[in-house]
Amino acid sequence: MAEKEHKEQKIGSQLPGESIKVIAESVGISGIPDDAASVLAEDSSYRLKQIVQEAVKFMHHGKRHRLSTADIDHALRAQNIEPLYGFQTGDSIPFRFASGGGRELHFVEEKEFDLQEIVNSTLPKIPIDIALKAHWLCIEGVQPSIPENPPPASKDQQQKEILDTTVKTVIEKQPKVAPIPEPHKIKHKHKGITDLAKVKDLSNHELSVEQQLYYKEITEACVGPDEARRSEALQSLASDPGLHQMLPRFSTFISEGVKINVVQNNLALLIYLMRMVKSIMDNQTLYLEKYLHEFIPAVCTCIVSKQLCMRPEVDNHWALRDFAARLMGQMCKNFSTSTNNIQARITKTFTQAIQSEKAALATQYGAIAGLGEMGSEVIKSFLLPHVKDIGEKVKIVLEGPILNSADKIAAENIKKSLAKYLSPVLKALKGPSASIEDYTAEFGSLGSMLHTAVGRERKSSGNQGNQLAKIAAGTPTQERSRPTVTIPTPRSQFVIQQSSSIGNMPGTPKQVQGGIRTPGTPSIIQGGQPKTPSTPGQQKFIVMTSQARPSNNGQSDKPLSMSSGTPTVVKVMSGNPQGQIPTAVPRTPTTPKIVVMSMTQGNSSLPGQAGGNSQDLGMRSVFSEQINNIKKENENS
Amino acid sequence: MAGNEVPFSDSLKTQANMQQSLPFQNVPKADVSDKQTLLAVLQFLKKNNLKGTEELLKREASIKDDDVRPQTSSQSETDVSHALAAYKSADDPSLFTDYYTDLKTFIESCLDAHKVELSVILYPVFIHMYLEMVYNEHESYAILFFRRFSKEQEDFYQEDLQKLATVTKKEHMKGNELMESFKASKFVIKMSRDSYNHLKRYLQENKMKPLLNIIQEHLFIDVFDGVPRTKQQIDATSGALLGESERDANKVKVFYGLLKEPDINMPLEEEDEPPEGEDKPKKKKPKKDPLMMKKSKNDPHAPAFNRIPLPEMKDQDKMEKITAYREALKRVKVGRDNPPTICFYTVLNSYQGVTSIDMSEDSSLLCAGFADSTIRVFTTSSHKLRSMKTAAELDNIDRDADDVLERMMDDRSATDSKLLTGHSGPVYAARFSRDRKYLVSCSEDGTVRLWSLLTWTNLVCYKGHNHPVWDVEFSPYGHYFVSVGHDRTARLWATDHHVPIRIFSGHLSDMDCVKFHPNSNYIATGSNDRFIRLWDILNGNCVRLFSGHKGSVQALCFSPDGRFLASSGVDSVVLLWDIATGGLMAQMKGHTDTVYSLCFSRDGGVLASGGLDNSVKLWDVIKVLQEVDTDADTSIPSSVHVNDSTGLLIGSWATKATPVLCIHFTRKNLMIASGPAALTEEKSPHKT
Repeated sequence: MAEKEHKEQKIGSQLPGESIKVIAESVGISGIPDDAASVLAEDSSYRLKQIVQEAVKFMHHGKRHRLSTADIDHALRAQNIEPLYGFQTGDSIPFRFASGGGRELHFVEEKEFDLQEIVNSTLPKIPIDIALKAHWLCIEGVQPSIPENPPPASKDQQQKEILDTTVKTVIEKQPKVAPIPEPHKIKHKHKGITDLAKVKDLSNHELSVEQQLYYKEITEACVGPDEARRSEALQSLASDPGLHQMLPRFSTFISEGVKINVVQNNLALLIYLMRMVKSIMDNQTLYLEKYLHEFIPAVCTCIVSKQLCMRPEVDNHWALRDFAARLMGQMCKNFSTSTNNIQARITKTFTQAIQSEKAALATQYGAIAGLGEMGSEVIKSFLLPHVKDIGEKVKIVLEGPILNSADKIAAENIKKSLAKYLSPVLKALKGPSASIEDYTAEFGSLGSMLHTAVGRERKSSGNQGNQLAKIAAGTPTQERSRPTVTIPTPRSQFVIQQSSSIGNMPGTPKQVQGGIRTPGTPSIIQGGQPKTPSTPGQQKFIVMTSQARPSNNGQSDKPLSMSSGTPTVVKVMSGNPQGQIPTAVPRTPTTPKIVVMSMTQGNSSLPGQAGGNSQDLGMRSVFSEQINNIKKENENS
Repeated sequence: MAGNEVPFSDSLKTQANMQQSLPFQNVPKADVSDKQTLLAVLQFLKKNNLKGTEELLKREASIKDDDVRPQTSSQSETDVSHALAAYKSADDPSLFTDYYTDLKTFIESCLDAHKVELSVILYPVFIHMYLEMVYNEHESYAILFFRRFSKEQEDFYQEDLQKLATVTKKEHMKGNELMESFKASKFVIKMSRDSYNHLKRYLQENKMKPLLNIIQEHLFIDVFDGVPRTKQQIDATSGALLGESERDANKVKVFYGLLKEPDINMPLEEEDEPPEGEDKPKKKKPKKDPLMMKKSKNDPHAPAFNRIPLPEMKDQDKMEKITAYREALKRVKVGRDNPPTICFYTVLNSYQGVTSIDMSEDSSLLCAGFADSTIRVFTTSSHKLRSMKTAAELDNIDRDADDVLERMMDDRSATDSKLLTGHSGPVYAARFSRDRKYLVSCSEDGTVRLWSLLTWTNLVCYKGHNHPVWDVEFSPYGHYFVSVGHDRTARLWATDHHVPIRIFSGHLSDMDCVKFHPNSNYIATGSNDRFIRLWDILNGNCVRLFSGHKGSVQALCFSPDGRFLASSGVDSVVLLWDIATGGLMAQMKGHTDTVYSLCFSRDGGVLASGGLDNSVKLWDVIKVLQEVDTDADTSIPSSVHVNDSTGLLIGSWATKATPVLCIHFTRKNLMIASGPAALTEEKSPHKT
């Protein structure tokens, strides 16, 4: 019906006589009387419609949806009218709109080109040649999940799945036979709550063997020593459609992995896990909202955790904090809504960290970076007011007696970071006339440093318009080079292993979780690019440490190759008390079923034997209890 | 044409005058002198006491008399006569609305059964009333009339109505395609005798002359005996530019059977036995038999082998046939229980736009026509594309060698794709000949070109259409090809003649697509007027007229046994026709956008379709055949049931963003689909 009405509007539409006059003037005929103009308008409207109707035929045969200028030309030619030359365009031509003086005007923007410039400019690249690519659209009626095919479940479907478990069966297309519940239970339930409560169907998340293998391959590659494989795996995570079924596993993997590696202070693995998060966020086919409760604490931990590496004074854990902060900023942009208030809650967490007297400087650094990535509004209202306090703290550390070299480095980094995030904001806020004194009055000891930073910012932004964006992308140093983390690649072994002492460990992200629970601060909605912060080209972390790290296990020199040996897929029923998995997925009340991939068989470097130094271990299991089980299995076999 | 020489004039002029005033036909003869006409005008003016005008006219006329008249006498003469005609029925325009509402209330008052049938006449009556008003220059009345009633017309006529709405002036009528069609032909309506009698009685009782005129002049009512049709039945077959097809149009016998295959069984057996060994023949014999039986038995519906002269079969063709049989033996089943396997070929980086894709019969070659006038041929097998050696090199070849064909080819030129340039407009179709030696293509530039796939050059350029050529197709037996185009003709060419050997015309608008019948005796054409016609190549007659599409027809496909024809187009509904009876068998609804490609599986049990909605759909033809009511009398439209159940869809497979321009079944029944990757995804909208 709507369409019909729409059509009705078009019927009888006409060019106004004024247009005709304007057109006539443009070809040098002026002073057309109104009558003549209206007659001409009527007739030309008719002719125009005829031509467009004719052109539609060419569009149909061109197998397109959109009428192009070429179609009009062809229609003119078919009617023996000289076509209009010079109006070829492959793209749609946007009409610009301008109004003023009570008149409205639509026009096509035509830029003037400097011919000299075109002649002198380098030739554009030759477009890639036409090629034919074959893929299987379906094999015996089943569509394979490959990037060439549409994702098996669209984001909308994945969203619906949350609300309605019946959707799931539709997505999977092969409805699994529902497990027959034990008769006792049914009886029991029916006695108590007969028809009153509608029991929601349990949706089972069984993975096919292929998916299990894929999961294993990907997780191993992502945290393994082979950089080439890792980038392949990350690429797959970022682009493959149809990962949604494995997403719960991946999110658990990441969140558990972060928990454990924070405790172990294993910087490299934390970085790898964050890169996984980034890839998953880059994947356009995934509906991540369901798993934010796992991703956000994990990412937050990597931002504000007190300690992320073994030797904070040497290792560059700042880059990890920066990277995670960018991820967090992106998450807030992508997922923050008025109902979940993510941005507000995260902001509050960070602000608390900054205000806290006891918080470590590293934590404060992370909080600053986290706030800095949220955009200028957040910086203005949450970071700026605290600059003075931070300044004092930094000053005490820097000028006081040297207690801890790590603190000193942290203080330096905080200064750099503040300069980086604040200068673009201050540039907009303060006039160029503001003197050092003004700055010192407002920001205390950091005033002079900020003043110079803003000055530099002004200068450089004069040269390049998009400098701001570049700065926002994050470079603390003047050279505007990426922060690099350095850890020895071949040694970077992964431990995802729950230490029994997890409760006492200093780095547990307690405050993170606490913060998220408190909503309240108004969320600031920001426009921005929807994608995760991606740098031109692949983000690279060069990892190296001082060579002095002792290898206390002979086996640790040899990287535990993920592909060597026969990998086994072990299904483990976790007997863990829930308390040990602080942020475990809210599962069905029954014992969670978790698929854990064990690695090479016959590897003896298990945690117990490694003398407590789990640094050198390969990835084992997410849960420490199971390690022993696996070990036994291995020994038995 | 002869019957409707006075279509729109309600003139009460003298008989002599009426005959000259052939409105729209624009061929009035100046045998009545100018003065006479003028006198008539002046008389009229005087009678109506319009003195000012009279004087003005007198003055003007005298001036005209002096210089302008000699050239434009005939033109102005008719104009004036029609002006008079309009004046004469001065009250008409407002009356039309009354007539129309009267007719409507009458139809409303009828029994439900008749109501449905009778309401069909409202649309043509509406159109002709509107045109009459426009012709008589009652523009404002016409627009009002249009506004008031156009929305009540069927949805599928809205497109035409939109076009019609642009016509608001008499001057517009000249040269308007749609107008010409309405003027030149009658709108066909099928009606049961009862309903017809109702209508007749009503018209006689009420004596509404203009209405009666319109119905007599512009409507053809095809009366049949039997119960009235239901709304669904009517809607299924109506929708064409001029209503439905007459029953008489589909009476001629059509030889839809396949041609008797020449005896190549002998070499087949000889070839088969030696390499296959002992165990195979036993297995193969029973399988082979049905294939061979069909060909060897004399099909009563098949045309004589020499009905159309066909080229002699060469040794190579026989070899080809043998391999085709062999492959056919390994054919897999495709159907509801055996879902297909589809291989999709995506044309990448086609910035200039792909306008057509076709596959060779043996599935080894794929060609794509582009909007930048080029054609590319790709190989889909491991055999690279090679061109022939130069003449000098060819001279050195031993002509008696067994592998002379192989030696002819130049290995240095082997590539995966070849580019053919020559056209000067978008290439709207390119098709392979069955033997893969030739390619024929057509383009916006009005030419059809024949290309050699041995030398990869243009051999012949056939000029004749002069307007964009929309589609072209090779005969399954080679030698002939047919092209259709914007000029509303289909032309049959023989590769060795530079002029067409047959020209088929009859469609009221562009012919959009064409297909050869598998026995090469007929061609089917689909048109923008929403009719499909089947033409006999032997005598050039139109032997079938199918109506039922609600949008221009863009794709046709004959079933492998030649009995059925599938069609689809802009209306995105796939229709299945029985050529023997000319009846519509099934409507397959499911696509959401224009369907550009149709293909039957090699065994004819399944029909595949694909189009702009980025999906490939599979339809169950066997089910249609099972459910068809064989007892129904096809001569009575109301007893024919059209199968439009949703259960006909076997499956649907979506591509990511690639429209499907070509669907093909290999000899082994593997499905191949192809289309250009959409660019819109990659390109960001204009922001920077």
